[in-house]
Amino acid sequence: MSKIVVLGAGISGHVAASHLRRKLSKEHEVVVVSPNSNYQWIPSNIWVGIGRMKSKQVLFPLAPLYKKKGITYKQAKAITFHPEGDAKESKPYVLSEYVFGDKKGTTEKITYDYLINATGPKLNFEATEGLIPGENKVYSVCTYGHAEHAWEGLNAVIQKLKSGEKAKILIGTGHGKATCQGAAFEYILNVEQELRRHDVRDNAEITWISNEYHLGDFGMDGMLMSYHGMTMKSSEMVEMIFEDRGIKWILGAGVNKIEDGIAHYENLDGEFKNETYDFAMLIPAFSGHGFKAYDKNNNDITEKLFKGFMIVDADYSSKPYEEWTVQDWPETYQNPNYKNIFAPGIAFAPPHAISQPRQSKNGTAISPSPPRTGMPSGITAKLVADNIIDSIKSGKESLHHKGSLGNMGAACIASAGYGMTQGSGVSITTYPIVPDYKKYPKTQGRQLGKTFGEIGLAGHWLKLALHYAFIYKAKMRPFWWLIPE
Amino acid sequence: MTQRISKYQRFKMMNPILQFFKFIYLSIKIMIVVAGGHGGTRKVD
Repeated sequence: MSKIVVLGAGISGHVAASHLRRKLSKEHEVVVVSPNSNYQWIPSNIWVGIGRMKSKQVLFPLAPLYKKKGITYKQAKAITFHPEGDAKESKPYVLSEYVFGDKKGTTEKITYDYLINATGPKLNFEATEGLIPGENKVYSVCTYGHAEHAWEGLNAVIQKLKSGEKAKILIGTGHGKATCQGAAFEYILNVEQELRRHDVRDNAEITWISNEYHLGDFGMDGMLMSYHGMTMKSSEMVEMIFEDRGIKWILGAGVNKIEDGIAHYENLDGEFKNETYDFAMLIPAFSGHGFKAYDKNNNDITEKLFKGFMIVDADYSSKPYEEWTVQDWPETYQNPNYKNIFAPGIAFAPPHAISQPRQSKNGTAISPSPPRTGMPSGITAKLVADNIIDSIKSGKESLHHKGSLGNMGAACIASAGYGMTQGSGVSITTYPIVPDYKKYPKTQGRQLGKTFGEIGLAGHWLKLALHYAFIYKAKMRPFWWLIPE
Repeated sequence: MTQRISKYQRFKMMNPILQFFKFIYLSIKIMIVVAGGHGGTRKVD
């Protein structure tokens, strides 16, 4: 009998737990440890943030589902890792603290045979002074709670615009090393469409602010894509969309301080500037959770497990941008020091960025961190689960399932406006996620046939269809496993 | 505001009938990319 502990119940953790439970017999225990009692389909938070969906449409409680499926659920947060156990506990364990119910505040040593760290990122708002969701007129859509607040703020601005006042809206990244530009891109297009729907677009000035060097970088170094029979750069496509919708942009901006209605930033020329706004949505930097790890003698071994995020089978040696290769990226998400620990999704430490790193003239790093959200999170979680299942069934370590971001495609269905007849979406697929400049030297590291873009109503339908399909899948309804990650 | 997308292109982008077929096409194409498999990148000696 094996016990598999999954930390986190986001896209990655939930996918891993679901597959483990489906494929392993009941003699094996699957335990999910997560402080959040709800599963949330994060991609739809965009629509919560414009008031077109309620948060209850993007979430459901985990406890009843896990009880029904035979998954043990502990509403607790991980505190410290003990991969060798300690003087009293011979098995490896994670010290966790309950955050709800009768056990709230108490700790438990949760032992495991296999550990999947799917804790995702910490939303590091503290890295930018004054960037606090719901304060200083700045908001976030990173969680459904944040998105609800964002809608309240946006709605107040819409009412102001309706009374004939002018307003400035600022959307983008809130830190020089932020990632997830795609979410901000979706949100700015949705806000723009909502303002048109409310007939107040002419009263609003909308500005995109980002740490990207080019538009359409998305933390992936941009891409060359097929578009209507042409080969187009993602920067050209995003520029076309922004110009068509009257959206201004500020690039190479590392936002470093927020005051009430003022975003301060440094640009790549080393100039310190600011931008005023009446409503802002800025994506924070992501960071690891700051977990500590100890060996059986209680010595600090954090550096064996963490490098900000969790260390996995990547090449972390320091080398210049020109020498980066897809082979640097992990394939199995297994910790090299403790072979029974894995970190899929956003929880693993990337070997380096994907976009070319840049610094301002003052030495401030201003370039996107690598995105690892959504689909890759699900795929990497499933392959980790499959390797653990194979290892348990064969009785020896099995790592046959591999999935490097350098050999994996991704689909980004970016909503560009909500509505069954008036909605729009920008559908982009990329293969591979991490550009392979040796394999595809003439097309900026990507395979053109599998890297394409489309704009139109079908994109909105597609994103809406994915919303319902993935919530169906997450609820583990009949034949849920037939829906790919 | 600069009109970068022509009225004809916009008509095609927002026409429900045309977009229905585009929806089918995109669903299949995305499925091919996404479900087309994944793997490692390192050579195994």
